Amino acid sequence: PKRDLNPRPTGEQDCGPTHCATAPPGFFVYFILIVLCTVTRLASQSLRRCGAAMEAVRQTMQLWQSIMKEIGGRFGTSVLSYFSFLKWLLMFNIFSFLVNFGFITIPQLVQGSNITNCQGFKGLELITGAGHFRQTVMYYGAYSGSEVNSRYNMQLAYFFTIAAYLVLCAVSLIYSMASSFRRNFVLSDAASVSAWRLLCSWDFNVVNEKAVRQRRSNLRIQLKVHSSALLLPFVVSLLNLVIPLLCSLLTQMEHYSNPRTQIYVIILRNVLLKMSILGILCYHWMNNVAQSNLTCWENLVGQELYRLVIVDFFFLMIGSFFGEFLRRVIGTKLIPKLGVPEFDVARNVLDLIFAQTLAWIGIYFSPLLPIMQMIKFFLLFYVKKISLSQNCQPPRRSGRAAQMQTFFIALLFIPSFVGALSMVAYTVWCLKPSDICGPFQGLNTTYEAVSIWMESVDRLQFNWVIWIYDKMITSELFFFLLSLIILVLIYFFWQITQGRKLLITLLKEQIVNEGKDKVFLLNKLKNLQNANNSQVLHQLENAQQPKV
Amino acid sequence: MGTTASQLPKDLLSEYQELTFLTKQEILLAHKRFTELVAKEDRNDPSPRVPMSKILTLPELKSNPFRKRICHVFSTSESKDGSLTFEDFLDLLSAFSDSATLEIKSHYAFRIFDFDDDGTLDRGDLEKLVNCLTGETDDTRLTPEEMKQLINNILEESDIDKDGTVNLSEFQHVISRSPDFVSSFKIVL
Repeated sequence: PKRDLNPRPTGEQDCGPTHCATAPPGFFVYFILIVLCTVTRLASQSLRRCGAAMEAVRQTMQLWQSIMKEIGGRFGTSVLSYFSFLKWLLMFNIFSFLVNFGFITIPQLVQGSNITNCQGFKGLELITGAGHFRQTVMYYGAYSGSEVNSRYNMQLAYFFTIAAYLVLCAVSLIYSMASSFRRNFVLSDAASVSAWRLLCSWDFNVVNEKAVRQRRSNLRIQLKVHSSALLLPFVVSLLNLVIPLLCSLLTQMEHYSNPRTQIYVIILRNVLLKMSILGILCYHWMNNVAQSNLTCWENLVGQELYRLVIVDFFFLMIGSFFGEFLRRVIGTKLIPKLGVPEFDVARNVLDLIFAQTLAWIGIYFSPLLPIMQMIKFFLLFYVKKISLSQNCQPPRRSGRAAQMQTFFIALLFIPSFVGALSMVAYTVWCLKPSDICGPFQGLNTTYEAVSIWMESVDRLQFNWVIWIYDKMITSELFFFLLSLIILVLIYFFWQITQGRKLLITLLKEQIVNEGKDKVFLLNKLKNLQNANNSQVLHQLENAQQPKV
Repeated sequence: MGTTASQLPKDLLSEYQELTFLTKQEILLAHKRFTELVAKEDRNDPSPRVPMSKILTLPELKSNPFRKRICHVFSTSESKDGSLTFEDFLDLLSAFSDSATLEIKSHYAFRIFDFDDDGTLDRGDLEKLVNCLTGETDDTRLTPEEMKQLINNILEESDIDKDGTVNLSEFQHVISRSPDFVSSFKIVL
């Protein structure tokens, strides 16, 4: 007879940020795949390359499942989260590449290039991004406006493709951030490091015997510390706040400290540094490079970003070499006290975020930059995996992987994506496109292409489109009212949350009181039963006696 | 592909897919790994039962400190010897899979931690739990004072109705506030 196995709930399943966030781009990937297959018959060579790349990508996605399971088995969930994050970012770039290639590059290739004086291809172009690449569809300059081919409006295609991709990225990031935050911060007690937490955080993923033994000893140390006096964590946290400058020594010092505050301080300083670098670069590009009318300035910015992407890749390799390989050599041969290094998840994730920021900024100036990013992430996965297995040991502390992941997604959204989006928006809105190249030649700003198009739309047929454009997109009053409504809603929901917190404390008290009531009633029942029994016995004795 | 896929009939496969959280590939892989463990003389048995000693040779369970408890919890044998049929094995993988809900996982975690199977986690269960996680040998255990202090902390934090034991609802309440639990409580073949 068949048994009823675990019944599945009828509602939605619980899925992590990587699963949920890849769903919308994944759906679009397959949709665009179908579109691309029909267009394949028109252009030949580059599309055959594209098809091979996609096939390889699909196979490696399944290949990576086994590698990631192996990493999770040896090093645990927190290190695995780095590789899941890398795979998630790779999805963004694959989607971007497909969208850009399909809607911008293919029409341009079909209508033919109008670039003269082609230089020959030398190998150096892969690193510098100049030379032969300057004339290819890699950069903004090779795309022409709509005067040449009136059937496909290249200006609108360029603008709307990039805008649609960035909007989808924003939606995906906000969704993952919100669901991750709700799961890991709101529903959990973020402040306390409880003993239950430690016990229930046993990582069942870890199957390697040595790793299991190490985790057991680490857990024992943590439990010992937890059961000691309450003053120690407080003092240690205070110390961590006061000594931020000695960050590298800190990682060697306190084994038992509250690791969260320490890690957050290090991460925030790192983020500030990287964002300042990018901010200064963007300022330089916007103010100095973009003002010159003589050259194709978008191409120049595109080339600089291309070079940045390549150089960043080399620095990631060097960082891996020094941070992991050399550190292991020093730790085992020269200063044995240091030991084998742990895989520094925070530093590596921040490097990934920086790399992705570059790609997002570059997408307007170099539509095919995602290809380089894809190759870069692909190689990085294997390099990091090899470095991890050769040089690193499993982490000593059972880190709070889920909460760190929320923090990383939030970092990816706020400084990284929003910064890149602001820069692209500023370029599109305010800067004058160069006159000699690109699809927006001759216009005052890139956005003017949309305004001109709106004017040319047939008023009688598409009245509603024009109405939406006039009253909502270009009207400031609409956005002001929208912001006001959203602020009111936020305040409203915040008040509901406060009320619910109060309700929780009241209900907890009620449970305790009911427990006490139950104990009281049981005691009373026991007493009554005893009294009843003794009464019955007494009566029986009395009834028997007269017979004598 | 191969003879294992043909051994599991299609209607059974879709039925298992309906009743568990596993995907088709996961069920087929589980079937393959399970039939490797079945003894030769039981091969023709319609629903073979694999003894616990063989289940514990699986690399995913070999080093797990809770391996024996897991087998006992998912076993349906009358003799309570921890042996598993294929459906028990699927139950196990389903509860530990990626898509299982928090309620299912916390329910099974509770049963695994309940060493004396009495439906609540009392001091004895908690002591065995801590010893299981910190190690069996004498030099890796906690001292009795540390153990007492730790269990007092645990009970103070999770025993809401103050009856000295942690029942299923209290356990689930504590678990729901631990966001790492869902990603840690996972075994994938």
